Amino acid sequence: MVESRQGPVVTSDREPSVWRRVRDLVPIVLIAIAFVALWELLIRVVPDSIWPRYLFPGPAQVATSLVSLWTGGLLLRAVVATLARLGVGFLISLVLGAILAFLMVHFHTFGKGIQPYVLGLQTFPSIAWVPLALIWFGFSEAALLFVTIVGSLFAVTVSFADALRTVPPVYLKAARNMGSDGMDLILRVTVPAALPHLISAAKIGWSFAWRSLIGAEVIFATVGLGFLVNQGRDNLNLPQVMGMMVVILVIGVLVDRGVFSRTQEWASRRRGLLPSG
Amino acid sequence: MKGAALKLVMVGKRFKGKAGPTEALRDINLNISEGEFVTIVGPSGCGKSTLLNIVAGLEESTTGWVEMNGHRVHGPGAERIVVFQDGAVFPWLDVWGNIQFGLRVAGVRRAERETRVEEYVRMVQLEKFAHARMHELSGGMRQRVALARALVLRPRVLLMDEPFAALDVHTREEMQTVVQDLWLKSGTTTLFVTHDVREAAVLGGRIVVLSQRPGTVSAVLTNNAPRPRKLDHPEVAEQIRRSNEILKAEVQWSNQDKVPL
Repeated sequence: MVESRQGPVVTSDREPSVWRRVRDLVPIVLIAIAFVALWELLIRVVPDSIWPRYLFPGPAQVATSLVSLWTGGLLLRAVVATLARLGVGFLISLVLGAILAFLMVHFHTFGKGIQPYVLGLQTFPSIAWVPLALIWFGFSEAALLFVTIVGSLFAVTVSFADALRTVPPVYLKAARNMGSDGMDLILRVTVPAALPHLISAAKIGWSFAWRSLIGAEVIFATVGLGFLVNQGRDNLNLPQVMGMMVVILVIGVLVDRGVFSRTQEWASRRRGLLPSG
Repeated sequence: MKGAALKLVMVGKRFKGKAGPTEALRDINLNISEGEFVTIVGPSGCGKSTLLNIVAGLEESTTGWVEMNGHRVHGPGAERIVVFQDGAVFPWLDVWGNIQFGLRVAGVRRAERETRVEEYVRMVQLEKFAHARMHELSGGMRQRVALARALVLRPRVLLMDEPFAALDVHTREEMQTVVQDLWLKSGTTTLFVTHDVREAAVLGGRIVVLSQRPGTVSAVLTNNAPRPRKLDHPEVAEQIRRSNEILKAEVQWSNQDKVPL
């Protein structure tokens, strides 16, 4: 047997080294530094008479504001509250989206009929759900969750359905031939076969959930990141407004890179879908 | 487990295609005894894969039926396992995981599963690759995984759908030897579909030659060359020549048929 003497062709399921991860971070950090430097430069060049400082604070003022929010405990409370809402809302969205997507793929006619509505609802601005949420649930946690869920559910459904459709029929055929069917077939074949695409789908869904939640918080929350942005506006505290925007951005980047990109990479690497280099 | 006898009775298949109905197979009658190795050869598009899928129960026949040991078969079953052209091995599992797939579905207990998987990993000589993933294997190795995954279930009938069509000539001949050896050991009734006349002749105890669409049985040749066989055995060479002749005549005849009068 000629081939069994050869080693494995590629060994690409190795984790990238720590050094590689650090190296990947360098350009990202450099961009942040450049941005802050440019910002500071603008503050020094543009005279206060043209663009008053209270409307256009510099990085130092923003940082000071963030530090005081942190030491006062407000910031941490807001982060915890927002992430908790996001966690619950996004999870519900994932479960409902998975069920809907499965029904759409499994029942072809149903899927075809409902597809345009789901697509329409996906592009529907989540803020437009806020009045309905307030009337149904009042100024409550439930209203915030509602907006988070409806703001992400349809994006999750569409991308989950797309992910499920990528499963090559021959895998299902082979598995059915070996006696698998029903739930067994879904869990043993459909889900693992679609996994890299399912993770991308979850990533899309999370960004929708995050956007919807922050939006709703700006409008009517009494605690949370979006609330702190709006509180800054109410007090004409521009450093707080900008500072909170930075926090929201940073959390977005961290979740995207830390959670989704890493799981995605892991799933693809296991399948040999990524080069090892 | 011993192989089962297969009987195909007046099997026919029509598709409702976009360009109107097409007849893929017409009146296929075949009697296959226990433990026999039958190859089915025919031009591409003659419905030979469809025929295999019907025996597997993955497709329904429009007319006729399939019997296994005297009982009509309905739907797919683990006693009739297909090895597909591209193997359809699962890329999210390693070699071991792929081979134990059917056993897990069947709920075979862990201890027995381990012994059986180990036995078949050894049988297809993939011991060193038991925990390799599919993208780390060559095409021939992947087909060996597919073969082991099928045989570990001890099917009564093994159905092979052009399993080596995508392999290079060297690997293909090597795999033919592997299949022949495994069949000699297991005695599983095997139905092997191919478009390669040489492959059909080196493997088949009988060679069924199908006509162009709609596929009908043009000829059934008996091949008594002693096993294990090689391509250069005189009797195998003779079978290749005869099958080719039939196929050539078949193609000419059907082309003539299409000439407007």
